[in-house]
Amino acid sequence: MEFANPIMTASGCAGYGEELAELYPLSKLGALVTKSITRKPRAGHPPPRTVETPGGMLNAIGLANVGIDSFLKDKVPFLEKQKTKVIVNVAGSTIDEYVYVCSRLADCERVDMVEINISCPNVDEGGIEFGSNTAMTEKSISEVRKVFKRPIIAKLAPNVTSVVDIAKAAEQGGADALSIINSVIGTSVNINTWEPLLTNITGGLTGPAIKPIALAMVRDVYGSCRLPIIGIGGITDYKDVVEYLLCGATAVQVGTALFVDPTSPLKIVDGLKKYLKTKKLNAVTDLIGKVKNL
Amino acid sequence: MTKATCEDTFIVKKRDLKYDYFSLVLAPFSQTAKLNPGQFVHIRLPSTDIYFRRAFSVAAIFPKKKEVEIIFKVFGRGTRLLGDLESGDRLDVMGPLGTSFVFPQRNERTVMVAGGVGFPPLMFLAEELVKHGYNPQSIEYFYGGRKGTDLVERSRIKKLGVNLHLITDDGSLGEKGWVTQPVEQFIKRHAHSKVRMYGCGPERMLKATDDLGLKYNIPGQLALEALMPCGVGICLGCVVAVKAGGYDRVCIDGPIFDIGVIKFEP
Repeated sequence: MEFANPIMTASGCAGYGEELAELYPLSKLGALVTKSITRKPRAGHPPPRTVETPGGMLNAIGLANVGIDSFLKDKVPFLEKQKTKVIVNVAGSTIDEYVYVCSRLADCERVDMVEINISCPNVDEGGIEFGSNTAMTEKSISEVRKVFKRPIIAKLAPNVTSVVDIAKAAEQGGADALSIINSVIGTSVNINTWEPLLTNITGGLTGPAIKPIALAMVRDVYGSCRLPIIGIGGITDYKDVVEYLLCGATAVQVGTALFVDPTSPLKIVDGLKKYLKTKKLNAVTDLIGKVKNL
Repeated sequence: MTKATCEDTFIVKKRDLKYDYFSLVLAPFSQTAKLNPGQFVHIRLPSTDIYFRRAFSVAAIFPKKKEVEIIFKVFGRGTRLLGDLESGDRLDVMGPLGTSFVFPQRNERTVMVAGGVGFPPLMFLAEELVKHGYNPQSIEYFYGGRKGTDLVERSRIKKLGVNLHLITDDGSLGEKGWVTQPVEQFIKRHAHSKVRMYGCGPERMLKATDDLGLKYNIPGQLALEALMPCGVGICLGCVVAVKAGGYDRVCIDGPIFDIGVIKFEP
């Protein structure tokens, strides 16, 4: 599959695209990755849902989303008019839920790919339970494979013993690509009241603080798995993207940086073009996996 | 909605309003003339360890010079850093963001309920109303704070010609008590007039204002405050519970909400 550029939005950081489209044409993005979609609508966790942390943030939004029915009815008509690749992130608390949502998406031509969220740290059941177990990872991906014929991306969690084992399980299950990584579990406490700052107590850490963790995982998986990797974690400018590409990513997703500057993907694309020119390279593919001593 | 832009601006004027309150005038901001009362700008701090922008409601605009004024009280790390900046320093400003106040009907009396550092958007609204030919004497500006030193820019508000009422918790300036007490008395005295309320301040003040609106069947709007990572509706971090069910985003569904919409904590 061809993309206009390797810069995508990360799930949960761009809604369903409507707000960003107010600011610039979505055709400037390599792909739009939607917020996680579940079978039923979810209101999400009560606030406070976010905490600013050094070099990033903790979030526990709780997979707030409109649900698959409303997504197809109310959001897809907008997406039909957008000239970008659309990747729908799918979350669930049972394998049946993943399969159900993906089978509905299979009937919707506008959905170019699905990204299976087997790594959300912010819900009571499902999510990370699937992504931290090799058998469950393989099973959930292979079940989705049966109903969704276009490309499937598995989004992996960093909170596992071996991300390489999980990556291999996803490959075995039939995934076409891997998104590495979802957020890192963390918490934060108010020292006056002794209460956690998040209603959900724990949340997912994102932003520049997690970039070194994600880069190491991308590099590990690139060395031992053949699937294309989408690097995620703390990407703020083109230099971060170059690091990810060198470590083995084929594309990247920008998440938390969108909250600081929603136009950051445009600046990253420009910066990347200039970098390639300076280095006398033809394409980003010349950078993939070229880190020395891999 | 007007398209928001991110722009580099400079601090063209800084005023120390004492007791940790500061005013900064930022320019040039190309969208200045499009900023309406109640809307906010989202400011990126010149710091590598403060990642997120900070949201500030607009206190005034000077469209000819493309200037935007914000007024804030030093509260945490972000506002401390902002208060330490000087004229000439650069700030990245994003805006206009959020919804704005709906102007009152011409035959309505306007009641503004301002609590502490919540006063700037109401000062902006009062100024715009006067500019649009509303009789300043039809505007009651109730301004409450913990103590007298919390009530800044009094002479500026007074100069608009509105009826300014000062109220402090400790009685060190104006009437002693909560700002919503004299507001209720005013409503009772004007039971036969059409009244519209606008509120901005701490949550318990907003709730008390909301309660008054519902009790006396007075329409109006509240300006909410929230920690806002993105300010443009994509992070879902600044949500507030609404009576209709679920949550609204303060940044894009608000920050201006009609009385009766928000589900306040009891």
